[in-house]
Amino acid sequence: MNLLDIRNLSIELKSKNGSILAVDRVSLTIKEGEVRGLVGESGSGKSILAQAITGILDDRWEVHADRFHWKNQDLLGLTPQERKDIIAKDIAMIFQEPMACLDPTTTVGEQLEEAVPNSQLSGYFWQKSKQRKLAVISLLHKVGIKNHEKCYRSFPHQLTEAFCQRVMIAIALARQPLLLIADEPTAAMESTNQGQIFRLLASLNQLKNMSILLISHDLENVTHWTNTITVMYSGQFVEAGTTEQIFNRPFHPYTKALLDSSPNANIELPAKSRLTTLPGSIPLLQHLPIGCRLGPRCPRAQQICVQAPKTTNHHGHQVNCHYSLKENY
Amino acid sequence: MSALLQVNDLSKVYKDKNYWYNRKKYVALNPLSFNLEAYQTLAIVGEIGSGKSTLAKLLVGAEKSTTGKIQLNGQLLTKENFKQRCQHIRMIFQDSGTTLNPNLTIAQLLDEPLLLNTNLTELQRTQLIRTTLQQVGLLADHMNFYPHMFSGGQKQRISLARAIILQPQVIILDEALASLDPSLRAQMINLLLDLQQQMGLAYILISHNLGIVKHFSDNIIVLNAGEVVESGKTKIVLKKPKHKYTQKLLMSQCFQIKH
Amino acid sequence: MARDKIYSEEEFPSPLQQLWHSFTQTNIAMIGFYGYLFLIAMAIFSPLISPHISIESNLDMLLLPPAWDSQGDVSYLLGTDSLGRDMLSRLMHGTSLTFGLSFLVVIISLGVGVLFGSVSALTQGVKSSIFNHFLDVILSIPTLLLAIIIVAILGPGLYNTLWAIVMTLIPQFIHVTHNAVREEFSKDYVLASRLDGASSLRILKYSVFPNIVEKIINQATLAQSAAILDIAALGFLRLGAQSPLPEWGAMLFNGLDLFYIAPWTVYLPGLAILFAVLTTNLVGEGLRHAVKMRKET
Repeated sequence: MNLLDIRNLSIELKSKNGSILAVDRVSLTIKEGEVRGLVGESGSGKSILAQAITGILDDRWEVHADRFHWKNQDLLGLTPQERKDIIAKDIAMIFQEPMACLDPTTTVGEQLEEAVPNSQLSGYFWQKSKQRKLAVISLLHKVGIKNHEKCYRSFPHQLTEAFCQRVMIAIALARQPLLLIADEPTAAMESTNQGQIFRLLASLNQLKNMSILLISHDLENVTHWTNTITVMYSGQFVEAGTTEQIFNRPFHPYTKALLDSSPNANIELPAKSRLTTLPGSIPLLQHLPIGCRLGPRCPRAQQICVQAPKTTNHHGHQVNCHYSLKENY
Repeated sequence: MSALLQVNDLSKVYKDKNYWYNRKKYVALNPLSFNLEAYQTLAIVGEIGSGKSTLAKLLVGAEKSTTGKIQLNGQLLTKENFKQRCQHIRMIFQDSGTTLNPNLTIAQLLDEPLLLNTNLTELQRTQLIRTTLQQVGLLADHMNFYPHMFSGGQKQRISLARAIILQPQVIILDEALASLDPSLRAQMINLLLDLQQQMGLAYILISHNLGIVKHFSDNIIVLNAGEVVESGKTKIVLKKPKHKYTQKLLMSQCFQIKH
Repeated sequence: MARDKIYSEEEFPSPLQQLWHSFTQTNIAMIGFYGYLFLIAMAIFSPLISPHISIESNLDMLLLPPAWDSQGDVSYLLGTDSLGRDMLSRLMHGTSLTFGLSFLVVIISLGVGVLFGSVSALTQGVKSSIFNHFLDVILSIPTLLLAIIIVAILGPGLYNTLWAIVMTLIPQFIHVTHNAVREEFSKDYVLASRLDGASSLRILKYSVFPNIVEKIINQATLAQSAAILDIAALGFLRLGAQSPLPEWGAMLFNGLDLFYIAPWTVYLPGLAILFAVLTTNLVGEGLRHAVKMRKET
């Protein structure tokens, strides 16, 4: 069953100089128990998309969508308050730089206690604080922190980044969400710690059947841990499909360029040779190209690319390109 | 022929400043030695606290080493003598946001090393700045811009321009590619490779991304808590790691696992 | 933002110019700024434009109400005080005393404080630590109390007030400069300059000072509003300007006994002090707002 079903979501930024389309008609579906990767470089709008899903964008941004369903319930027809209630119950989010997301003036234990909702505690009110503490300890064990006493009493600045990220995941798990959105959770960490966090997310996905939307700017990191991947470029939807399809047979020139330019993905590349990259750089928000935004940089661009391409679907592998590489396979 | 850069028994021990008597010693780096030739890249891999930033600072002269000596082209380098060093060894920092002075234009920024270290006239300096900017892929008109007008990738290119403008022989890249997007990283790597071929530079790459290390470097040194855990040719070390720590690093980056 | 085609007549504003630009966009900050310029002009030109001499008394016109009152006289626009001196001229002369002196005080303490602060930021070790702790002790004493103590030692008088307040403001500037310079030294571009072989003086001049100018000016506006209030307070306590000098605080004290029969002798200097402090705070607030706006874009 589709947990989250978004079709043609657009996010506009209204400014003095006119409105800028930060996210242009992106579609996203997440099934139950699926780990989906959302890959895009800086300026691709992936963080804004995640914030729009959880409803934390401020008034400057306007969100339109053809379809925005959560568990087959239409969210667009509800008032913002009702939408917030539904989303807060079932969706949780973790961010980059976990140490900056925790309150530096209170201990980690107190922050975790605050996150446990009242509905999970039963019993008379004098038993509640004991139960709260037990709930926190069980949360810490779930994220793999065995030494809960020490963790309970420490402040965020005394812990490492990886530890803080585990605490953040524990806070997110307190409400037993159905979907966890992880916005570049390991950007500030070293490689061994990154592996630990990804393994934790994978185990949570398997044990609790919790879906995860993993946002990252590095395609190679994400391919190992996800079932399906959506690629975005400069606010536009580029390609989506299973990890195996995207990694082995990328249809869109941008995805192919991403895979070619990462040494990790090409084991057979001769050492110290030039990597194949797309020329130019990511367009700025003020100077977005019309139609397909990869147009100026794409090696296969023709005149028709000034019109935005339509999404085509081949066995679940969707691509948004006039000249996709499907014929090569 | 002696190597371009020879490092012998370099180590650094920090004394704890908070105590008057019985100062505690903190060993940041145990004695290590290596040689570096032109046209070669040495990668230094390790986690936070392994001593790789200390090593970078010692090589570039920001800190004084406790023991050991560094020789460049056979000449001994001393700590105080920045002018001697900076012509030959330059460094690119990680965080492009704080590495450029926000109140100076690019021309003034690139002028400073020239003013302090060479005797060129103003016309010659402007010309040199122009050609250097073109070498790193920026336009000569960018000279009058301020750093806040550039994107992250362009700022790293400006740092690279600042590094190569004195025609050095060794460039130290202190996690310079870590904060960039993958496509910008690839462009930067291509640029570095071109410059290495053109100018005969030697690079010391400090990184924790093993993919780039494997592609870009000839030799590798793995550090753990200040100790050299393994060293040698990159291909050999990454194919058959002998030490447990190196194996752990490789595993965590899912390197050998082909999906 | 960087573009491919660059026209030769385009301007590239430096961060300080950007700051000025966003400062001028904020309407209320500009109102404060114009008020500030008005006060400076008044302080400089008051002997030339005041209608009467501020310390000359006219015994025929004692306690004349302001001109809008039925008993008032237009030639004494804001009335006279108990010795027949024109209030308007006294207020204008008082601008150069209270406001002008506060400006001078801030300039002197800024110069000395920044110098000591940068020197102390360059030192390290036990010496620097002792100096900093000593400074923290001085900072913990309220400025007015410290000024009163110094004036009690030096004796009353306007110039002693100046030295007293200078001495209370210097530690604040040293503190701010010290912290700002320390913070700048931890940035990478200072390290890069040092590795290029720049001397400490060159680093201070090109790399550090342009980046801490905003913090120092912020502290200067805060210090000036404190200085205005301190000068007025010392005048009110008869420790500062001695009569017949028309310093606003002293004027307040003189008018206090007559509050019920001649309220204008009290509220006019009070309004003047309010206006001066308000414009200074508006300028400071506008500057902080402009810095925040610039950081966000």
